[in-house]
Amino acid sequence: MVEVTVDDRSLELPVWILPGHADGSMTIHLGYGRTRTGRVGSGSGFDAYRLRTSRAPWHVAGARIRKIAKHYELASTQLHSNIGLAPGPNEEPGFGVEGVEAERRHLVRVGTLEHFRQEPDFAQHMGHTPPEGLSMYPPWDFPGYAWGLSIDLGACTGCNACVVACQSENNIPIVGKEMVAMGREMHWIRIDRYFEGELEHPHVHHQPVMCMHCEQAPCEVVCPVGATVHSSEGLNDMVYNRCVGTRYCSNNCPYKVRRFNFFKYNDTETPVLELLRNPDVTVRTRGVMEKCTYCVQRINHARIEAEKEERQIRDGEIQTACQQVCPTEAIVFGDVNDPESKVSDAKAKPLAYDILAELGTRPRTSYLAKLRNPNSTLEES
Amino acid sequence: MTAPGKPPIVAPGHTPGSVTDQISSIVLTRMPRWWWAAFGASFALVMMLLYALTKLVFEGTGIWGLNIPVGWGFAIINFVWWIGIGHAGTLISAILLLLRQEWRTSINRFAEAMTLFAVACAGLFPLIHVGRPWLAYWLLPYPNTMDIWPQFRSPLVWDVFAVTTYATVSLLFWYVGLVPDLATLRDRARQRLAKITYGFLSMGWRGSATHWHNYETAYLLLAGLATPLVVSVHTVVSFDFAVGQLPGWHATIFPPYFVAGAIFAGFAMVITLAVPLRTLFDLKDFITIRHLQNMGKVMLATGLIVAYGYVIEIFMAWYSGNWFEEFMILNRIQGPYRMQWYALLLCNVLAPQLLWIKRVRSTPALLFVVAMFVNVGMWLERFVIVVTSLHRDFLPSSWGMYAGTRWDWAIFVGSIGLFLALLFLFIRFLPMISIFEMRTIVPKTQAREPDEVSP
Amino acid sequence: MSKAATKPEFALMAEFRSSRELLHAIEQSQAAGYTQLEAYTPYPIEEVWEALGQHKSKLPLIVLIGGIVGAFTGYLLQYWVSVINYPVNVGGRPLHSWVSFIPVTFETTILFAAGAAVLGMFALNRLPMPYHPVFNVPRFALASRDRYFLAIGSWDPKYDRRATEEFLLGLDPFEVNEVAS
Repeated sequence: MVEVTVDDRSLELPVWILPGHADGSMTIHLGYGRTRTGRVGSGSGFDAYRLRTSRAPWHVAGARIRKIAKHYELASTQLHSNIGLAPGPNEEPGFGVEGVEAERRHLVRVGTLEHFRQEPDFAQHMGHTPPEGLSMYPPWDFPGYAWGLSIDLGACTGCNACVVACQSENNIPIVGKEMVAMGREMHWIRIDRYFEGELEHPHVHHQPVMCMHCEQAPCEVVCPVGATVHSSEGLNDMVYNRCVGTRYCSNNCPYKVRRFNFFKYNDTETPVLELLRNPDVTVRTRGVMEKCTYCVQRINHARIEAEKEERQIRDGEIQTACQQVCPTEAIVFGDVNDPESKVSDAKAKPLAYDILAELGTRPRTSYLAKLRNPNSTLEES
Repeated sequence: MTAPGKPPIVAPGHTPGSVTDQISSIVLTRMPRWWWAAFGASFALVMMLLYALTKLVFEGTGIWGLNIPVGWGFAIINFVWWIGIGHAGTLISAILLLLRQEWRTSINRFAEAMTLFAVACAGLFPLIHVGRPWLAYWLLPYPNTMDIWPQFRSPLVWDVFAVTTYATVSLLFWYVGLVPDLATLRDRARQRLAKITYGFLSMGWRGSATHWHNYETAYLLLAGLATPLVVSVHTVVSFDFAVGQLPGWHATIFPPYFVAGAIFAGFAMVITLAVPLRTLFDLKDFITIRHLQNMGKVMLATGLIVAYGYVIEIFMAWYSGNWFEEFMILNRIQGPYRMQWYALLLCNVLAPQLLWIKRVRSTPALLFVVAMFVNVGMWLERFVIVVTSLHRDFLPSSWGMYAGTRWDWAIFVGSIGLFLALLFLFIRFLPMISIFEMRTIVPKTQAREPDEVSP
Repeated sequence: MSKAATKPEFALMAEFRSSRELLHAIEQSQAAGYTQLEAYTPYPIEEVWEALGQHKSKLPLIVLIGGIVGAFTGYLLQYWVSVINYPVNVGGRPLHSWVSFIPVTFETTILFAAGAAVLGMFALNRLPMPYHPVFNVPRFALASRDRYFLAIGSWDPKYDRRATEEFLLGLDPFEVNEVAS
């Protein structure tokens, strides 16, 4: 921890050094360290208003910083660091390996506009995608709808709106700092953040990751009780009341999008909290696995409406919660069997790619590579 | 019968009568004081286990150190460790019987008991490791309320079949082996309760020629069935990992490497138990240096197979050209859990090399030390396979760390207590050496006319 | 040895000190025309049951049948559950994933065969049988230690209480006892 002193006022704060932050400056968040906000808010974080004056509400110059012998635990869901850079000589062991690995595995694919003009499908050549039909198993048909999703990494700004929307839509419990620090966060969708380039001025890439609804799902095969199976529309269904909680599915999920109720996280006793929840979504109990359902309740709602009107579900009629709130419309959901749908259109683009396709999982969620158009006077590339 | 220079299987001077009296007297007389102390201590550990399990069921799997990505931890490590230990008992009683290794006779009974108790400890873990232990029976093949059956493609269901079959067959094998000895105890016991109990359990065994004929056929057939079974059980356990697509799990070497590791671990445990028992109960006449030497040799051989497995894992990571595999190995060597891996190499690869030296094989204390190294090393091996593979898999954004909590340790140590408590009860109530088989081999191993005994 | 007052005795039983003596006695008894013989030994001796004319046990056949039943039960259960009763797409694998069905089939084969071996052995040996006349002889307790017994059943056509006792005593036993029924 450090002690920050502005004039005669000082505050003890934990620090987190992030790539790309300007030298000689620090960012302090306001709004924490409250003392009378009840069980959730009290005692979390540090009150930065103590450094703020009406003369300098947003920027203070001349702050002094001093290292103090105190320890404070920070909880984060994104512990990996930069990509494209090996760990430096002064970095602690292990630090930086994540970045090197993330780059080598081509999880987030980025190119420049120039590169795209020369080789439009460069993203598809960065990884190793097995050809369609290369399988020991006969293919399954999905004659009706076949739901799929596409995420445009170029459009994603990493704003986290999708994470919050998903949390409210799907009754996802908030587990608290201790659980997050142990790696037990429950978010069904997460934003993987990657830094690329030099530590002083890196590029930041964001990649929302949720259940890929793999057609050859590794999680389903290993479930001993059939609690996760495929629907006829290609959804990787999670049957909560059948789940006994072996966690084998999560171990075998290469995308690590499954979340486990290690404790009874949901408060089902307090009556007023019932109003908080979405009545269309099961409230999960302790000991079961959960994950993104592609908002199956919305799919079923639309299906009922369509069947009442004796028609097909129209493209765009179903919006997943994450898609609905995305300010840049980076997320597109729809029927991949319908060649006219927006999602089919997105998946047909040359920038479209699947992550970890070499494992043969055949994911239904795919990505559009990010394109940058750097100004040559500002950046050498 | 003994080759010159080799210690005998049974010390000289024994007759069928003397082995019967000496072995049955352990059960039929009072236990020494240390037995009460030892049983009391292990029983206290069982109470700790029960306390930890109660807490687990009331509060949830979260009291352990598990997280996402490390969804399996101590429970699965302990499961594989215990079931591996169990394998030596079946190997000694079945495979060595088929191979006509007569030296197995004096160690097979308690090795089989060790199998049963190790399987009992192992069987505990799959039940409690699930998030909702009260529903673990859904893995059994029966249609539940929703008319749903288990999903037979899952290695965990194979595990259920393999482990229950193994437990059942081991129990039957053990019980069948005990029947003539229970009859012996029935005939020797003086207390009425003991007479009735042993009489009830021996089912009226008379030792007639017809009995022995069918018995010997059954025993041989059971040995023939137990042999492929024991190989299949650890193969199926290895499938829990090998069928997954995780680097560090997904390897075709796993079945043979696991089976060898199981025998390795099991023999280490047999030595761990045999060395103190032969001293405490004065059984040096029956569990001789020859037995210890032979077990040392088996441990050395299986240890070398296990070491080969380690080497092949590294070789395949490089040879496959699969970066995920290569990274997994690099992470084992350089990653945050590298110390566990080095300790594993010390315990499982370096320490057993001492067994090349005959003096080590013939000195009970040294053999005991090597066996303790192997016991620890095999636990670490499963830790490396389970945790080191899981904690850094495909997506670096999801990597994490894992450490067992005090509840993880309480349950692990408690399971050792359960194992020991069962073992002490076994020593108290049942003959730890097969009496009738000793009667069989005594005539063959003694130079003088075997059947001539004074009335 | 006191004679049972009302019921006729079950058999006469001679006690021997070695298996050699026992084998010799069996030979002599058979030569003398006795057929209802039973020998009791403290450990299995192949020559004894061979001498008594028991060559093949029915047990291997019982075990084979058990194994075959087990294999079919295991495989058909999985087939019926996965293909007929509850067909569902699991990870894109075929409904009839026969490769995945092998481990369970193997285990049920072993389980049923082993069960057949144990139950078959007890059935062929007529066990459990808590009471048997031979236990009436106090010295029979040594059959589970180091003594060898030969019994001639009283239902043997050539059996005669006195003559048979004389005959057995002629075989140089340690003792001859009457087995009360």
